[in-house]
Amino acid sequence: MSYFNIDSIKDRTFDAIVIGSGISGGWAAKELTGKGMRTLVLERGRNVQHVTDYPTTLKNPWEFDHLGQMPKAVKDANPIVSRCYAFNEDAAHFFVKDAEHPYVQEKPFDWIRGYQVGGKSLLWARQTQRWSKYDFEGPARDGFAVEWPISYDDIAPWYSYVEKFAGISGNKDGLPQLPDGEFLPPHEQSCVEKYFGEQMAKHYNGARPIIIGRCAHLTKPNQIHYDQGRAQCQNRALCQRGCPYGGYFSSNASTIPWAQRSGKMTLKSDSVVHSILYDEKLGKATGVRVIDANTKEAVEYYAKVIFVNAAALNTNLILLNSKSNRFQNGLGNDSGVLGKYVAFHNYRTSISGEYEGFMDTTTEGIRPNSSYIPRFRNVFKQETDFLRGYAAGFGASRMTYNDRSGMGEDLKNSLAEKKYGNWRVGSHIMGETIPKETNYVALDSQLTDPWGIPQLKISVSYDDNDEKMIKDFHEQLTEMFTKAGFTNIKTNDIPNKAPGLDIHEMGGVRMGKDPKTSMLNKFNQLHACKNVFVTDGACMTSTATQNPSLTYMALTARAADYAVKQLKAKNL
Amino acid sequence: MQRRSAIRNLTMAVGGLMSLPTWASGWTPESIGKVSTLSFSEEGTLAEIVETIIPETTTPGAKSLKVHQFAMRMINDCYGEAAQKGLKDGLATTDIASKLAHGKVFAEIEPAQRLELLKKLANSPDVATKQFVNMIKGLTIQGYQNSEYVMVNIQKYNMAPGFYHGCVPIAKAQGKMEKKTDR
Ligand SMILES: Cc1cc2nc3c(=O)[nH]c(=O)nc-3n(C[C@H](O)[C@H](O)[C@H](O)COP(=O)(O)OP(=O)(O)OC[C@H]3O[C@@H](n4cnc5c(N)ncnc54)[C@H](O)[C@@H]3O)c2cc1C
Ligand code: SF4
Repeated sequence: MSYFNIDSIKDRTFDAIVIGSGISGGWAAKELTGKGMRTLVLERGRNVQHVTDYPTTLKNPWEFDHLGQMPKAVKDANPIVSRCYAFNEDAAHFFVKDAEHPYVQEKPFDWIRGYQVGGKSLLWARQTQRWSKYDFEGPARDGFAVEWPISYDDIAPWYSYVEKFAGISGNKDGLPQLPDGEFLPPHEQSCVEKYFGEQMAKHYNGARPIIIGRCAHLTKPNQIHYDQGRAQCQNRALCQRGCPYGGYFSSNASTIPWAQRSGKMTLKSDSVVHSILYDEKLGKATGVRVIDANTKEAVEYYAKVIFVNAAALNTNLILLNSKSNRFQNGLGNDSGVLGKYVAFHNYRTSISGEYEGFMDTTTEGIRPNSSYIPRFRNVFKQETDFLRGYAAGFGASRMTYNDRSGMGEDLKNSLAEKKYGNWRVGSHIMGETIPKETNYVALDSQLTDPWGIPQLKISVSYDDNDEKMIKDFHEQLTEMFTKAGFTNIKTNDIPNKAPGLDIHEMGGVRMGKDPKTSMLNKFNQLHACKNVFVTDGACMTSTATQNPSLTYMALTARAADYAVKQLKAKNL
Repeated sequence: MQRRSAIRNLTMAVGGLMSLPTWASGWTPESIGKVSTLSFSEEGTLAEIVETIIPETTTPGAKSLKVHQFAMRMINDCYGEAAQKGLKDGLATTDIASKLAHGKVFAEIEPAQRLELLKKLANSPDVATKQFVNMIKGLTIQGYQNSEYVMVNIQKYNMAPGFYHGCVPIAKAQGKMEKKTDR
């Protein structure tokens, strides 16, 4: 075997290794190569090239055999991923199928994954809000989890940095609980969304703003976006298929090709990272062990610094599986907290209603975005019998229908005539869940996956705090809808729905000040193995109510900057 | 310069579609769906039923738009076994009812007779028959409204460039692209 050949080892040695090519891994690749590091990006899934590997992106609705609906045989064979709203005929090829990548549900958990170059960045709904100081201060103020080792001020410049490159559209709303960013022009709110905002301003004294969503779309590109080869968003809202214009941010359209152009990146797809190699004598990680996804052969790669960006739960899995004499319970796990304090977002319930005003107006066209209700509960101080709070999506559009009665020519004529119903309004909860020791992931002691890697065992559930929050959401939103004059208000909780479909799982490798109770320091460095960085959702100490990916981007860029500085100073 | 890169992106997209990677076709009905269990004559009956529901006038009707094939595909691939049985039974019932009333099967009676018969079946006291007509009617409307002909010529579907206006007087609205049909 050529493995032991010196040249081969040299060929397999890089300055940096990035595990995973999704939202956070793409940023690690861009930042590290941009700072001159020869970087190996390892991705377990297949390659997906921007544009050429988006097979459905230009298909018309009638070109899908089932108009988008998934065949029953597929749904029956894939009950978990089929519960995700975006698992449809046009994007199913970007989702992991249940049987291909098994895991153990100690408690029911719908784990939604995208294994390919770009990860879930192809599929995401692109909502991007900054955290505020109230979110970073949360655990310390309310006494749960552990204190964050960073504050809003530490990360604010990095939010700006990633926002400018990714392209975030939004309105400057001037809210303390949702800081403004570097925005491209905002999308428009519909008449009833605006009306709802005005009513809430009146009834709640400005404490419950209704704003337009902030999202990763090029509403008006800047030069930096054209330089990436991206163009203005065309409002198709077919984003989950991959966008030929690069109108929304994905690793495939943005960070990965940028890193490629530096000439410093080697991208290896179909490479499943098994574990991180630790050298006891050197006291640091030296590389990674990889299983070829197709041949199942093992090979090792080496680097001075390793970024773990496999998405929250897979990052936990890799660290748990990186065992050595020094770290018998997983890399860097002196504290024993690895895999614990997993949290997520509560997306379990929604509310809908109708509005009988604005009957002579409607919306026209398509908007890849909607309105947003920033958190208004317990923001500045504790007010309720549950901890933290929730944000909410909000949308209002005009219902249209055709008269479907009759048959024959009558029916045909009435189908050609669109009728307008009431406005339909709806809102869904995005609640903060509390990281707890009892919400954990671990390696299964028996079962392995087809690559010989232990299966991940997930034990995560809702708790009392979540139930109280759901109740409060129902009460508060019903009150708000009622004050706005909405009718036919209906709540829609599904109490036995498993967590996971929020696709915002976080934690397990949390940041913290104290190595005794956390895994990572304030620069996302393993306390006990300084040349390994974790900057995806696994690092999150708490979850806030915002969609998380923008924060992963900012943390990644910040950590990469620090890592390169430390390397240059010979500290790693 | 900016325009050029947008256009380049688009031509690349079209080029990419010409040769689909193998994984991309992993979800076609050929690889997962069963072939239809309907016989040739059953398919013919279904075609006349959908045509009766939405007939040809100055514009095409459901049959020439192949809406019956869409309905068969949906029932076969997306609906359960009960619906598949409901389809077969419903087609048989339709022919029996036609023979009883007119001495001929459904495909052989006059269009006006077909319409009248289907309306009767839609209000039949037999739950299964009623459900059958409702299912086919629903699928006929769905297939027709989402057919290329209707979307392009009547609804003026246009994938891109798109736009969004949040508040337009209905009188001025173009009446197009308000609702996406494929999600
Ligand atoms: C339908 C949907 C809607 C969403 N909407 C939003 C939203 O509006 N806003 C928001 O902020 N977030 C949203 N998300 C979540 C968002 O996609 C994730 O937070 C984000 O992609 C996480 O980035 P990541 O880099 O951690 O993981 P990913 O983007 O998932 O990338 C991880 C990569 O690592 C690879 N990998 C895993 N294990 C290994 C291994 N052992 N070896 C090698 N490679 C490995 C994976 O194949 C994958 O490519 C949504 C997600 C989905 C699916
Ligand atoms: S809405 Fe914009 S980003 Fe999404 S597919 Fe359309 S053009 Fe692309």
